[in-house]
Amino acid sequence: MAVLEITGLTKVFGSGRLEVRALDGVSLAVHAGELAALMGPSGSGKTTLLLCVSLILEPTAGAVVFDGDTIYQEGKTLADVRRLRREKIGFVFQSANLIPFLTGRENVLFPLNLVGLNGGEAERRVQELLDYMEISERAHSLPALLSGGEQQRVAIARALANRPKLILADEPTASLDTVRGKKVMEMLKKIARENQTAVITVTHDARMIEGFDTVYHLKDGKLDNI
Amino acid sequence: MDLAIRDLKLHKGRFLATIIGVGLLFTIVLTMNGLYRGNVYEGTALIAHTGPDLWVVERDRGGPFNEQSSMPEFFHYSLAAVPGVEQASPFIYYPVEREIMGETRRFSIVGYDVFSGLGGPRQLTQGRPIKHAHYEMVAHEKLGVKLGDRVPLGLHTFTVVGLTREAVASDGEALVYLSLEDAQEFLFQRDNQEVRNQRERQRRSLTGGGMTPQEAEKLLPRLQPDTHTINAILVKLAPGADPARVAQHIRDWLYFSVFTTQEEIDLVVRGKLARMTAQLGFFRILLMVVAVVIISLVIYTFTMEKIRSIAVMKLIGAPNWVIARMILEESLLMTVSSFGFGLLVIYNIADLFPRKILIMAPDTMATFAVALAGGILASVLGIWQVLKTEPALALGGH
Repeated sequence: MAVLEITGLTKVFGSGRLEVRALDGVSLAVHAGELAALMGPSGSGKTTLLLCVSLILEPTAGAVVFDGDTIYQEGKTLADVRRLRREKIGFVFQSANLIPFLTGRENVLFPLNLVGLNGGEAERRVQELLDYMEISERAHSLPALLSGGEQQRVAIARALANRPKLILADEPTASLDTVRGKKVMEMLKKIARENQTAVITVTHDARMIEGFDTVYHLKDGKLDNI
Repeated sequence: MDLAIRDLKLHKGRFLATIIGVGLLFTIVLTMNGLYRGNVYEGTALIAHTGPDLWVVERDRGGPFNEQSSMPEFFHYSLAAVPGVEQASPFIYYPVEREIMGETRRFSIVGYDVFSGLGGPRQLTQGRPIKHAHYEMVAHEKLGVKLGDRVPLGLHTFTVVGLTREAVASDGEALVYLSLEDAQEFLFQRDNQEVRNQRERQRRSLTGGGMTPQEAEKLLPRLQPDTHTINAILVKLAPGADPARVAQHIRDWLYFSVFTTQEEIDLVVRGKLARMTAQLGFFRILLMVVAVVIISLVIYTFTMEKIRSIAVMKLIGAPNWVIARMILEESLLMTVSSFGFGLLVIYNIADLFPRKILIMAPDTMATFAVALAGGILASVLGIWQVLKTEPALALGGH
């Protein structure tokens, strides 16, 4: 079963002569352990698609089925959607977007606390993730004292904290040099394979998607997959 | 995990600077409160501490504190004979400016019957009350004299036999207690040259009016100004006497105005002190508003600076209450700490002010409540901003 299944997704901004069709009948499916890349020029609708998939932006038409659950239908409250995001989706951003007043370790602990995991069990999980991302030694520092690559590793550890079904990565290598960027991509691959997590990465850089299972190209809101 | 504490820890420099800045503003607000209360306290302290049952003053006058009152001294004998009056004692109160220990000082003279006991200082910090009819004084510590100092006043030199700090003059300056006779002489007795001049003017007036020099000479001593003048008579009622009835009797038969101590205080508060009290009260409100606005702005700015982090928190699924709690905690911490700092400062510097800063718990509590309400209002604005923040902001979306 697909972790994420999108059918005929359409998003229209404005109306009449000002109408902009940001997404136009986009359909795709991403399965557990699958690495999917989403590419396209600026203004092609990548961010809009990511926002719809992130359960933030309601589409004008089409269906988003996440882990067997149809989103954006009557009866779903904002709290339900937020809980889904909290429990089943991990986010990795262009810049690490760590919470600046929490140390690396606390940034990873935060989503665990949000789902009610505290104390020793949460600490063990944090340590496990930090070890996995090879950042344990620097994890007591505030984000401002970490390098870009270290911040991104903490961000990935945070995204993995609640064992998500899906990781959404928005240009995770954009603020890194090629070597560090490749390293981050390798980590995402490793996560997808080892944890059976579906990963969707938005990227501009074709060099970064070597070894990905599926590559989607968005152009003017329409999708081609390669 | 307490997000507020962690955020403040990261910004501890700014947090401390804010606490000091806003705290000092609270110090000013609390000082204004104290000044407001101190103005009323000092303005009425002598009345309250003297505290007779009735103040008898010149007819249709609100004296002796709110306006001048002048009456012949001998009337206290008439008052003592009024039914219900146990004791009637003459009283003088007069602000002056004289040189004390080489420095020009403003102070007020209180003259009282040192043997009857009404009108004198009740508590001394050092020394003893005036025991002799002449040349002894009790002074407020503010005057800066010491026990045993000899202070020239008018034609005589007085020895400081006691020091007090229980009451001050209505303008906040020191009080100097003298015996009634000394006070009368000091205030009303002209110096010798002035007496000679006055006598010469009267002689010319009399002889110019047709009297022979011999007749004028005989009459002159009778025309000398009378120094047996007082400003009020303090009345102590007999046990069980009805103050209203006694007061009415005095008004009807002796043609004076009569006030209870509370009425005398009200006269001063509504009269002499009213403008300054209103001024200070208005200034106090204005400062409070400024303090609340500044706290609100600081908290709002603190929140707005975190808006991207808040978007990230919302994106990863943090419920609104988690973020709202952080804002509210920061707001309360900042308000309480600033207020605490302000309170600490004012308690340590209040005595350095030249006028009484009377810090009263209800005022402090009310100020704290308003500050807290301001802090909560500011956090509500911040929380409203949090609710409006789109998680999409974290993704660089709209």
